[in-house]
Amino acid sequence: MPASTVRSSPDRIELMGVAVAKPTTDYVKAPPAIKLSEASDIVGSAPRVAEHLTYERILAASTEPQNWLTYYGTYNGQRYSALEQITTENVRGLRPAWVFQCGSYGLHAGSSTYAFEAAPLIVGGVMYLSGWDGWVWALDAKTGQCLWQYNHAIPFDVSLCCGNVNRGVAVAKGKVFVVTLNAHVVALDAATGEMVWDVTNGDVRAAESATVAPLVVKNLVIVGSSGGEFGVRGHLDAFDIDTGKRVWRTYTIPKPGEPGSQTWPSYSPAWARGGGNTWITGTYDPELNLLYWGTGNPAPDFDGEIRQGDNLYTDSVIAVDVDSGQIRWHYQFTPHDLWDYDSNMEMILFEQDGRKLLAHFDKNGYFFVLDPTNGALVRVTPFADRITWGEISPTGAVTPLVYPDKEGEEVHFWPGPAGGKEWCHAAYSPRTNMFYVPTQDVGACVTRRRREFQESIPYWGASVTVDSADAVGQVKAFHAATGEEAWRWNWHLPISASVLATAGDLVFCGTPSGEFNAFDARTGKLLWQFQTGSGHHSSPTTYRIDGQQYIAVPVGWGGWIEGYAPGMAGGPHGDALFAFALPG
Amino acid sequence: MTSDAAARSAALSELGLDRQNKAALGRLLASGNIGQATEEPGGRMKAEVRIPLDELVWDPATLILPHGGDVDIVLYNDDSNTHCALLPSNGEGRWIWLPIHSRGEVSINLDGPGCYWYSSPIGNDEGRGLLGAIVVLGEVPPDARLDRPEQPRPD
Repeated sequence: MPASTVRSSPDRIELMGVAVAKPTTDYVKAPPAIKLSEASDIVGSAPRVAEHLTYERILAASTEPQNWLTYYGTYNGQRYSALEQITTENVRGLRPAWVFQCGSYGLHAGSSTYAFEAAPLIVGGVMYLSGWDGWVWALDAKTGQCLWQYNHAIPFDVSLCCGNVNRGVAVAKGKVFVVTLNAHVVALDAATGEMVWDVTNGDVRAAESATVAPLVVKNLVIVGSSGGEFGVRGHLDAFDIDTGKRVWRTYTIPKPGEPGSQTWPSYSPAWARGGGNTWITGTYDPELNLLYWGTGNPAPDFDGEIRQGDNLYTDSVIAVDVDSGQIRWHYQFTPHDLWDYDSNMEMILFEQDGRKLLAHFDKNGYFFVLDPTNGALVRVTPFADRITWGEISPTGAVTPLVYPDKEGEEVHFWPGPAGGKEWCHAAYSPRTNMFYVPTQDVGACVTRRRREFQESIPYWGASVTVDSADAVGQVKAFHAATGEEAWRWNWHLPISASVLATAGDLVFCGTPSGEFNAFDARTGKLLWQFQTGSGHHSSPTTYRIDGQQYIAVPVGWGGWIEGYAPGMAGGPHGDALFAFALPG
Repeated sequence: MTSDAAARSAALSELGLDRQNKAALGRLLASGNIGQATEEPGGRMKAEVRIPLDELVWDPATLILPHGGDVDIVLYNDDSNTHCALLPSNGEGRWIWLPIHSRGEVSINLDGPGCYWYSSPIGNDEGRGLLGAIVVLGEVPPDARLDRPEQPRPD
């Protein structure tokens, strides 16, 4: 029928030349809204294995190596496991037992650079794991079955320097603790994934964020802050794990009149924008009752003229009384930093000849050993191959040599802003008395470019181009007694993933190109390698279930690639967790 | 080059980028309307969002909330095709199927300032226009702000 001949009426309309019934204004009722996981195979609950996870058990975590109860495995930060089923003799038989994947939904912050950076925790056969963009999962650690998932809604416009990442959770007393990119601290029911409490711990309007894995000590959950590239004021906070009530906050940049304030200009608000964030988990000595927490770069990163002085407590380790939050002592690794040399990275507690010691591999390329009772320097030696920014004498005297000084004048130095070692962690084996360190040999060109401070806008004070060529990496072993290099494994790309050491005399570490490797801890010989399909920028852990040892490693290349491996900016992305085990 | 929102809207219309398969394949993202949620006594918020006929766009495409918190959203699919909605919420995103000419209800919780996305994650609804924003205004609680003097923000 020609359209022109269709006769309209109150209850009919013309559509493609045909008169059809006009849609009623009575809407069909849509099915009820559901949580996304209800349309999945996710179980919805986990065994109540975390209810009896107490501070005392975490304190003695080394006595239950079948679990990985806290971020570093134990409070001392050694990333060492006494599990010995997988050995130098049989590691060549290691194969994937299962793989967990989530994938990326919709639009989110850093959607092209998100990374899987977590350290999986294992409690009684359940793996607790965090991902990018507010994801938390409980998995059956034997099968990979997702038991529950939680997702915190994160604004896609949060200010992030270094990608959409999260480094892990803490678990205790039936709860899972995680921070979010919009600077919340959240406690979840470990059996259901339901939120128990939620505290806002930072100001996203000021570019504060949070990426750190929380640390449970006593009845406190301790979290650090992020945002140093945006001129925030760093802080460390402790919350009651039952209620979420803040117990203490310690700022890492003193206000005028407070101890350390003399290291900031008295004539400007530089201290208020001073950085010094606490974005990597600290270690803890229960006998001394001290936390050892690293602090980040001062802000602006490269323009020191407007923040003259040493800029305490940036680029330092602060020894913090866990009950009060008071800083008992500090050691600053790079006074008046002009190279973006954060010192957040692990503070490994170990002993030599009965003496307590603290080991730290700094971005500035030097390996420091301190006395953890008072912060006194015991030894400092270089661990990076090329160090041109300056020199540190055996007594700890720092002499800057190359730095962005004059506006518009480019300088080049090693290590670049990602450091001789990034945040990714070293490990220590008491069996070999060696440290195992992921290293980066990458330089950078930096030109000072002053800018005015504005909240939420990057505050670097320079133009930065990190070398994409002539950039390599290693896994290096150092004798703990002397600081001398024992062996190294060379790779054609910077190594920016954490190391795991085991009593099987193995060292595990991944590469930006996707290989996951096992080395002989005593010789450095590569014994096993598996291509996981995407680069490594996470912290592998190990555990045992029903007599079977597993090695778990999150894989997903991303984060601050332009800082630590710009030559791999086009590397394949991913977001999988591999669990490896021996056959049978 | 356009110089203000009215000129931008006119240019999109003139170029045919505010419709499906006119100047290009789909509708240009973020070219839809802006709407605001209303606030109930006690702070809970309410909003309505529609999918108009043949436009593949949320209306409003950008929903403004005056602050973080709970919001009840009524969704209408006025289109002659089936869609769905995935909305952000603390805990987990909420997903609802939206048959042709249907009405659905969903409640979500967003806890702080910033831009969040919502979409219809079937087919390529997201790429063709059904990708919207929920914008939460306001500040974080006073006790979450840094202890420092007021600092400048971008003009």
